[in-house]
Amino acid sequence: MVTTQNKLSNQILLEYVHRLQNGDTLLNNSPENLLEVVGILKSYGVVLDAYSTNLIYIAEHQFLAFLPFFKYFNGEVSGKKLLRHFWHDRINFEYAEYCMKTMMWHGGGGLDIYLDTEEFCAIAQTVIAAKFKHNPLVMGLNQLFPHTLIEQLRVSAYYSGLGQFWRVMADIFLSLSDSYDRGEIKSIPQVVDFIKAGLVADALKPIIYEVNIAGKLYEIIPKSVGLTFLADTAIPYVEAVFFRGTPFLGVVSYNAQAYQIPLDQSRFQYGALFADPLPIGGAGIPPTLLMHDMRHYLPEYLSKIYRNRLRGEDDLLIQICTSFQKSMFCVTTATILGLLPYPRDTQDISQQKANQVHLEKWMKKLKNSQLLEVNK
Amino acid sequence: MLSTLILLQLLGAAVVAFYPSNLSGKLARGITLTFAIANFLWTLLLVIQFRPGETGQQFGEFLPWIDALGLEYSLGMDGLSLPLLVVNGLLTCLSIFSSDQLTPRPRFYYSLILLLSVGVTGAFLAQNLLLFFLFYELELIPLYLLIAIWGGEKRAYAATKFLIYTAFSGILILASFLGMVWLSGADSFALDKLDLSALPLVTQLLLLAGILVGFGIKIPLIPFHTWLPDAHVEASTPISVLLAGVLLKLGTYGLLRFGLNLLPTAWAYLSPWLATWAMFSVLYGASCAIAQTDMKKMVAYSSVGHMGYILLAAAAATPLSVLGAVMQMVSHSLISAMLFLLVGVVYKKAGSRDLNLLCGLLNPGRGMPIVGSMMILGVMASAGIPGMVGFMAEFLVFRGSLAVFPIQTLSAMIGTGLTAVYFLILVNRAFFGRLSPQVLNLPPIYWSDRAPALILALLIIIFGIQPAWLIHWSQPTVAAMVNTGHSLAVTFSTKQTIPN
Repeated sequence: MVTTQNKLSNQILLEYVHRLQNGDTLLNNSPENLLEVVGILKSYGVVLDAYSTNLIYIAEHQFLAFLPFFKYFNGEVSGKKLLRHFWHDRINFEYAEYCMKTMMWHGGGGLDIYLDTEEFCAIAQTVIAAKFKHNPLVMGLNQLFPHTLIEQLRVSAYYSGLGQFWRVMADIFLSLSDSYDRGEIKSIPQVVDFIKAGLVADALKPIIYEVNIAGKLYEIIPKSVGLTFLADTAIPYVEAVFFRGTPFLGVVSYNAQAYQIPLDQSRFQYGALFADPLPIGGAGIPPTLLMHDMRHYLPEYLSKIYRNRLRGEDDLLIQICTSFQKSMFCVTTATILGLLPYPRDTQDISQQKANQVHLEKWMKKLKNSQLLEVNK
Repeated sequence: MLSTLILLQLLGAAVVAFYPSNLSGKLARGITLTFAIANFLWTLLLVIQFRPGETGQQFGEFLPWIDALGLEYSLGMDGLSLPLLVVNGLLTCLSIFSSDQLTPRPRFYYSLILLLSVGVTGAFLAQNLLLFFLFYELELIPLYLLIAIWGGEKRAYAATKFLIYTAFSGILILASFLGMVWLSGADSFALDKLDLSALPLVTQLLLLAGILVGFGIKIPLIPFHTWLPDAHVEASTPISVLLAGVLLKLGTYGLLRFGLNLLPTAWAYLSPWLATWAMFSVLYGASCAIAQTDMKKMVAYSSVGHMGYILLAAAAATPLSVLGAVMQMVSHSLISAMLFLLVGVVYKKAGSRDLNLLCGLLNPGRGMPIVGSMMILGVMASAGIPGMVGFMAEFLVFRGSLAVFPIQTLSAMIGTGLTAVYFLILVNRAFFGRLSPQVLNLPPIYWSDRAPALILALLIIIFGIQPAWLIHWSQPTVAAMVNTGHSLAVTFSTKQTIPN
């Protein structure tokens, strides 16, 4: 039987709210935490860059493809690349797809709403008609099953949305690492500030999705819809992947029929911030594929820290996962602070109250997270 | 040829003990291991030269010693002793390899291990009852010291208990040997000169009783088993390996060689009782194992149960069952040695063998996944899962005994099911689930920790898939032993009836 534990008591919860109010961070500030967070975000940045490129490629070139055999090849199919693919000397692009599916399943944000509108369905039908103009069989099938191809385009829209989101995040993380290398970042609060600044700077960046069919551009998510980076991709992503459910490979040992899984999707707590870094076969399994990818791009200073620990490289994936969780608490801090309704240091009592409500709402969601573990 | 086995190890013990300069633990281990490997290689050379088709003793060596006592230095090897000698050679190497390099008083420790092996080797080779007894007693002293000096917290208690039990076992065996020679009118203790077939059945039964209880203590069979769990728990891992893998086999070897072989008529008369005794031993050992929370004690009680199968097979005394008994001796040696080695690694790294504390050791990152996987393999082999050596041994035992003692055999088969129960408890508690906080920060596991168990795991699988490679060395010897015994028992039963 799986029981829900309230790891953070109300008192500790309030302490964290005060910490955030005072400009502090969820993750404790220490030199080792700083090294771990910056180092892991550097490797994460490299990996996100590759994921993002591939997601956008799939969205723009593999849309409405029924058998996209070479979707991970980014259009460069060769014997050598195929061998490397089968030898598994490659990035695990599957992880990015799992994230996309998680986002799509949990929904939320303007993208989710837009994809259910008549406007989108009309655009989708236009795109389908253009794509299969010379294919009466598919057009016939589309008449028989009118939702199937539209759903395929919804999936493609999510490919594109996540790809664009990660494009921004990869640049933020890589530039953070560069700043650290230049000696400009010296503490965890500075890391959070850097990420927050990046998020805020791109908050209103439009999310658009266009495809090219026979030389003609079709706007599946036109700029006029008004979807933006922060509200329509970043927040749904954080909600879906950090809080509700991280994609993983493994067996979920929860029994839905025994009500071990909450009926309300919004109460799911299987996300990255809740994952137990020790893989045991239950929900909360860390995103192993991501750890596998990141291990190839760890900066030397971080590898050295890992090697010098008790189990050396034996438990590298667990160490990466712990560092990743630390870094994600920094991203979460940045998101929480970035979404504050009023400036953090406002003197207006009613604004302070509104900020307090906002922070408490977020912290309640972190009650069962790994926050205490990462701060041990 | 055979004396080399004894002399090599004696020389090794002497070199380590009297090495002129200060000897570090690492060097002492290296020297001892060199001699042990040389001994093992020599044993393999003998295996190559051994002619499996012949039923008598091979490579015989004879030197008169004390004629007045009927004691002579007479050695030989047949299909019964050959597999046990190989196992002894292998397990001695592995136990030396798995010994801690920081063992205090390393010279004494390693020379005692080699002396222990000398005693076991001599006992398996001896063709003279008194010579067997000398070697049998010789191994007691090193083993007592190895437990008493390098054992756990209650080592003095365990070592003394072991000594008292096995000394009593020695007295009974010696009394039976003396009785055999004296009552049969033989002028020597030579095995091949002893003919006990003319003795009255009651006399034979009395002699057999001494043998049964004497070796029953060594095996051990209930109710003489209580020294074993204590000895195992207190002994260090390498010594437990030798104890379970080799020394217990002296008991079963003695039963077959001196009980079934020399007193077949009395054996046949007592066999239903022996089978019942075996059945209780199997079920009692398994039931006790289920109740244990100490991993090592659980494996120790499993030994009590598994040795019962050998008695059952020996009681049935069919060619198939006795072959199964020999197979079970080898199989138990490999499996129990592997389990003790793995429990030793767990204890060394986690600092506990308590199943109430350990959890999640199979964790791929922070646990000991390879050790856990081998443990699962070991318990599967012990539970007689097909494809491993334990299955073939137990199958031969049951197939050979079922027709003779159906109830006892079927009851003993329940023991196999119980083996799966207690070992699943062990694996489930210690290896599955999330790593318990007590063992969250385990030190690294090196290949040197895993290598000894890995070698045994490979042998368990190889002989499980191809048991013929093991069986064909012993089959003719066993067949001859059972046929001779059977014809003697038939001849005797036509001449005499049991007095009321």
